[in-house]
Amino acid sequence: MAVNFRVELIWKESGDKEAASIFLTSDGRVILQGRGVSAEERDKLALPRDAELISVDRNLIRAIKDML
Amino acid sequence: MFLRNYWYVAALDEEVRDRPLGRTILGEPVVLFRTADGALHAFEDRCPHRRLPLSMGKIVDDVLQCHYHGLRFAGSGLCVRVPGQDHIPQNARVRTYPVVARYRWIWIWMGDPALADPAQICDFHWLSDPDWGAKPSYLHVEANWQLIVDNLLDLTHLAFVHETTIGNMALVEHAAVKVQRAPNNVLVTRWIVDQPAPPTFVKVGKFTGNVDRWQIIDYTPPAFLRLDVGACPTGTGAPEGRRVGGIGMRNLNAITPETETTSHYFWGQAHDFEPHNAAMTERVFEQIKTAFLEDVAVFTAQQRMISLKPDAPQVDINADAGGIQARRIVDRLYREEQAAAAAHATAAE
Ligand code: FES
Ligand SMILES: [Fe+2]
Repeated sequence: MAVNFRVELIWKESGDKEAASIFLTSDGRVILQGRGVSAEERDKLALPRDAELISVDRNLIRAIKDML
Repeated sequence: MFLRNYWYVAALDEEVRDRPLGRTILGEPVVLFRTADGALHAFEDRCPHRRLPLSMGKIVDDVLQCHYHGLRFAGSGLCVRVPGQDHIPQNARVRTYPVVARYRWIWIWMGDPALADPAQICDFHWLSDPDWGAKPSYLHVEANWQLIVDNLLDLTHLAFVHETTIGNMALVEHAAVKVQRAPNNVLVTRWIVDQPAPPTFVKVGKFTGNVDRWQIIDYTPPAFLRLDVGACPTGTGAPEGRRVGGIGMRNLNAITPETETTSHYFWGQAHDFEPHNAAMTERVFEQIKTAFLEDVAVFTAQQRMISLKPDAPQVDINADAGGIQARRIVDRLYREEQAAAAAHATAAE
């Protein structure tokens, strides 16, 4: 009996600051929510051109440390 | 591991009358009683004379009289009478605990009395709110309190443990669950949108079409779990927070550790449909109770295995997310409480 369970983890600080979501998927992956990095940003910040990059909020890093 | 500076449920209100009730809480023996004026009292359940449980005694003239040699203790915990002598030894006194009656439960504070603030009592108003029908209950359970918390924060066991009662595979297959963790709270949310209502819901909710159904589990430490479940006709806006034309229930749980391997399990079921229909309250309660006993069988069996080999390894899966977050909070609060107690002890030296 297959149980495909997808979990979305959200970390919240004392105020109302919420971190972006962390998704745990049934195929064993951890998927983070962030924003794609544009070509201009890659140029400006000397980032790789073709890798799939996302920029994440610092709160999300705390969430990962705290929750995973 | 116990957290001490919290309000815990010690008894059902109706259990504490004019006869002393003995109950072990966080490993400490406690006796609860009410005097004729209705005042509530909680003492250490150990006579300072020869250590008989005071719960074997009785209330005489509004004070508690020990069953063995008749020493009497007033509400302050001080001995007020020693049969056969006028002199009352100074150390003839028992420890008292702050107690409050609220939501048809009796709450006790086992920690530092200076920190006891009844405003901190976890909200369980559904048990005493006239807009809700509710029935509170109590069960003694042979399992560590955290196993019960894990169970209530877990949704996938419905398909297996509750196969024949409240569970079905559809509830867990392809389930998307949200686990929100705040510093002192875990919220597990699950929406099942635009699906047929389960038979039990159809009966009381009189739904004719599909419904939006929710399961929202609120965990507040140390061991309070308030489950908000219900359904509304699809498209009426329940997922956006507008609950109209539907039904709602609260499954309310307060677990009080007795020892490391046993617990007092206070729970109740509240419903917002036909709130004054006692037969409905009973029916809803009985339905949930069957499922509830299926859970009790599970965590008591887990406890037996854990006690045989406490350090046997266990693995985690995605569905454990809620329980894992709750345990992280408890671990942090425990460290904080221990550190505060150590600092307090150092300052006192
Ligand atoms: S043991 Fe209580 S009066 Fe002696
Ligand atoms: Fe269950």
